[in-house]
Amino acid sequence: MIRLVIDTMKKRDRLEVIFDILSIIQKHHNSIKPTPLLRYSNLSSSGFSEYYQELTVKGFIKEIISDEKKYITLTDKGFRYLEKYRLIRGFIDEFEL
Amino acid sequence: MCVVILCFLIYLKTRESYELTKHSGIKYFRDAFLFFGLSYVARFFFSLIFLSRMAFDIHIPRNIIMPGFIFIMGYLSTIGIFYLMFGFLWKKFDNKMIIIAAHGIAALLSIIAFTTRSHLILLYLQSIFLIVAIILSIMLHKGKKITQTIMFYYLLCALWLINLWIISRIRPFSFGIDFFIDLLFEILSLILLGYIYYKISKWVK
Repeated sequence: MIRLVIDTMKKRDRLEVIFDILSIIQKHHNSIKPTPLLRYSNLSSSGFSEYYQELTVKGFIKEIISDEKKYITLTDKGFRYLEKYRLIRGFIDEFEL
Repeated sequence: MCVVILCFLIYLKTRESYELTKHSGIKYFRDAFLFFGLSYVARFFFSLIFLSRMAFDIHIPRNIIMPGFIFIMGYLSTIGIFYLMFGFLWKKFDNKMIIIAAHGIAALLSIIAFTTRSHLILLYLQSIFLIVAIILSIMLHKGKKITQTIMFYYLLCALWLINLWIISRIRPFSFGIDFFIDLLFEILSLILLGYIYYKISKWVK
């Protein structure tokens, strides 16, 4: 039961964490290195890699190599998430989902 | 048919929100309307068959159509009620087992109604589920402010209950009054679904 509650809390915050990570990338002119992104996102490194994996797999972010350095950028889907986030959040709160 | 369109519109409108977030609450909410829509499609086809029997004098025995209709509609609407409940309760329970149990209960209920050929069993059991859903929801909202939307959920549940009684063909009044009451509740259901659709459209553009 305790595990379930923790999972639920994690799930509840998930949308917000994703929004924060994507916002950080956007605020850095859609190009940021992994280390500063980890620092700004206020997550543990294990938590960050979990979200990083998820966002990459779901196609919200992608990696680009420039001057032999790795940068993270938003995809169209990532921009769409940012655009729709507040509305979706409003929908979830309104219908208490 | 308007109810069917509204249910499917709610399902389609919320697709992008679900695809972007994979939020369980959104998933159960939209699936509930999908199942309600499908159950109304079943009801619509049943009415069409029934009307075509009268219009074209085609003889399809009622005892063949009715149990099949009870089975399909019973399953779809019961699972719709369960999914609407899950939309509220998914944070409180382990989802997978409860979903399997819900499908099992809905199937069992439909099989019982099919074998006994009694839509009244379906009616009574679904009424119990809806009342339990309303009580659970009231318990969960104890001490919290009940939003306008939640009030409409309660009304929708109440209307579904009344709708079930209408389908059951229990006719306490004369034909004219019963027809008027049927029509009134159909319109009320439509207004409520329209309101929910309007609320969703406001958020999910």
